[in-house]
Amino acid sequence: MSTVTTTSQTPRARSAPSPQGRRRTRHWSQPRWYVPYLFAGGALALVLVMTLFPFLNTLALSFTDATMLKGGQFVGLDNFRALLDDARFTTALLNSTLYVVCVVPFMVLLPLVLATLAAGRGRLLGFFRTAYYLPVVMGAVASGLVWTSLLESRGLVNSLLSWLHVVGAPVPFLTDRWLLLVSAMIVTVWMGMGYYMVIYLAALANIDPALYDAAAVDGAGPVRQFRSVTMPGVRNTMALIAMFSSVAAFRVFSEVYILTGGTGGPGGSVTTMTMLIQREGTGLQAQTGYAGAISLVMFVVLAALLVLQLVVQNRQGKN
Amino acid sequence: MRRSFPRRAALGGTAAATVLALGACGIAGGSGGTDDAAAADGEVTGEITFQTWNLKGGYEDYFTDLIAAFEEEHPGATVKWVDQPAEGYEDSLSADAAAGNLPDVVDMGPEAAYTLASADMLLDVAAADPEAKAGYLPQAWDAMTFDGLGGGTYGFPWYLNTGPSFFNTELLEKCGLDADNLPSTYDELFDQATTMAAECDDATMIGRLPEMEVFGSFGSQLMNDDQSAFTFNDAKGVELVQRYADLYAEGGFTAEAVNALQTEELEAFKAGQVAWLPGSSYTLKELKDTAPEVYKNVEVVPAIANTAPNMYLESLAVSSQSDNTPTAIAFARFVTGAENQMSFAKEASVFPSAEGSLDDPFFTEDDGTDDARVRVQAAKQVGEAQVWVPPTFSEASSVFLHEQIAQAVLGKKTAQEALDATVAYSDERIAGSE
Repeated sequence: MSTVTTTSQTPRARSAPSPQGRRRTRHWSQPRWYVPYLFAGGALALVLVMTLFPFLNTLALSFTDATMLKGGQFVGLDNFRALLDDARFTTALLNSTLYVVCVVPFMVLLPLVLATLAAGRGRLLGFFRTAYYLPVVMGAVASGLVWTSLLESRGLVNSLLSWLHVVGAPVPFLTDRWLLLVSAMIVTVWMGMGYYMVIYLAALANIDPALYDAAAVDGAGPVRQFRSVTMPGVRNTMALIAMFSSVAAFRVFSEVYILTGGTGGPGGSVTTMTMLIQREGTGLQAQTGYAGAISLVMFVVLAALLVLQLVVQNRQGKN
Repeated sequence: MRRSFPRRAALGGTAAATVLALGACGIAGGSGGTDDAAAADGEVTGEITFQTWNLKGGYEDYFTDLIAAFEEEHPGATVKWVDQPAEGYEDSLSADAAAGNLPDVVDMGPEAAYTLASADMLLDVAAADPEAKAGYLPQAWDAMTFDGLGGGTYGFPWYLNTGPSFFNTELLEKCGLDADNLPSTYDELFDQATTMAAECDDATMIGRLPEMEVFGSFGSQLMNDDQSAFTFNDAKGVELVQRYADLYAEGGFTAEAVNALQTEELEAFKAGQVAWLPGSSYTLKELKDTAPEVYKNVEVVPAIANTAPNMYLESLAVSSQSDNTPTAIAFARFVTGAENQMSFAKEASVFPSAEGSLDDPFFTEDDGTDDARVRVQAAKQVGEAQVWVPPTFSEASSVFLHEQIAQAVLGKKTAQEALDATVAYSDERIAGSE
């Protein structure tokens, strides 16, 4: 047995690399169980340190009465009960929910319309694509400041409306609760359109042009083509954008913060969930336990929103 | 099912363990290990860190020379100066404190000092240096002495600021008022604001809602005697908010003013839309530089107050976790000493808190210039002013107060309800910090 083994291995040994070389070759070429973890390790560590740990910490804090400088005691559900009695929380939840309800349809449809208009070749189309994308590059703070100066009572918009005799008194864009919320929504849509337009442009490129030709032959005009060819062709992208924009809308901060000068509007009536978290969770007297409870509620709402969208999307897929 | 249960249990267990572990550990906490009474004893040597709030831009030479002078006086001692930007200073302090990295000597106001002291992060300088008290104005020293924390003093008073009232006389006359009869109390101010509202559509007397210090100078008692609870929901406090609500209903200030902060109020004054500006010692210079047309018609009079006017105070607190406490105390006293405070006051248009400094001719003699006019006016005010904002009144409480007054002004709740809610909110913050 041993002879057979020896004779059978000898030719291979001659042609094979030296034992050291063979070990080296196996070391680099043969799979090891830990190799995937090495590749994923960096990103995994980042997720653990920057996402999972803060999340678990927030989860823990939400059941305590911790402040910024003092470790808290476990208080069970007290923070959540306090939230129910906090009118600011109700206002913030309402404002953030309204933001999702009003902003997401525009975020899904307007960029698609823009992408459809701006798709194709040509310098003019290129110019429009760049122009639509510009607000994304500007950033929330710069955009917010520009819009603030446009919408204030003596700003360009009111001056123009007054000059055209459309209004007798300045429109209270930044002082009326609902107009302020709508103004912030307009800024959000304006800022986000370019980003989602680029995603739609990539999706539109995957639609077979022959489908448009066939639709045109059948007598479909541009609107019918948009409804019957374009929209079905980018349905998955629309679902994805609905998901992204829902999360972003519920977490809105910068636009409202800038337009209200950080005050949350008259009497705090336009405060959003993230603004409330920032207010309660920062500063030397921060109520980190309470802020953690607000964060946790926000997480649950967002998770429910995503699950709902996935369920709807799956049902539509099956149908 | 058999596989999913343990997985869920493990996840739940991990979360529960984390909750318990982190809940038990908390985020931070003061060491409280320093023996304050003996802290000033010892050799002045080693390196300390000195943190200021937004002073590097304009006063770099002053602080560089100051540190050099201290190091020359105390060979072996070195001071590392860091400066934090104006925005987010409290966040920066809280991050440093939570991480246990508070600089040895830190520039801060009484509110921040109270919170940090309640977490045992600051040294009781009265205990560490019993002789120090005599060197400062009594009201400044008292503002850093916290009854709610056993009567300890948690910072050497540094510079003070207060400001007179600025009135746009041209605007007042345009709106039917007598510029020679400017208001000196809140009652007079509200009466004239009502007249102005009736006469003018495009200008008002008032540019923003009142802050906590206004309640003090209006005559409300802000806290109870042992400083354990707020009381500004008393009759005077309610009267103040009601006066603002009535004035708003009469068109006495705009919807923008309901949401405005100090910056917006200043801008409205510069634009000739608001007639009254509670300013500071450098407001007149700013008006001269940035709003020359308004500057020509500005009259400077003592701050509006029914009781004592307000003043703001910055202090130098010493970290209880400093490795070189004697050096930190020596440096804080050096910076807040009479001579160096005087130099800084001249550089920065502020007022010294060192005892006797305000008797200097610089603060008592008007040489006819704008700067001297405002300086002498304001210095006179410092002598009778109080630091009205209680150290336990946090920034979050200040924001909450603003929101509640706005709701009362907009008619969404009564003045009493607004102040009751604010007092309840602020009392909870005191309880949370103790």
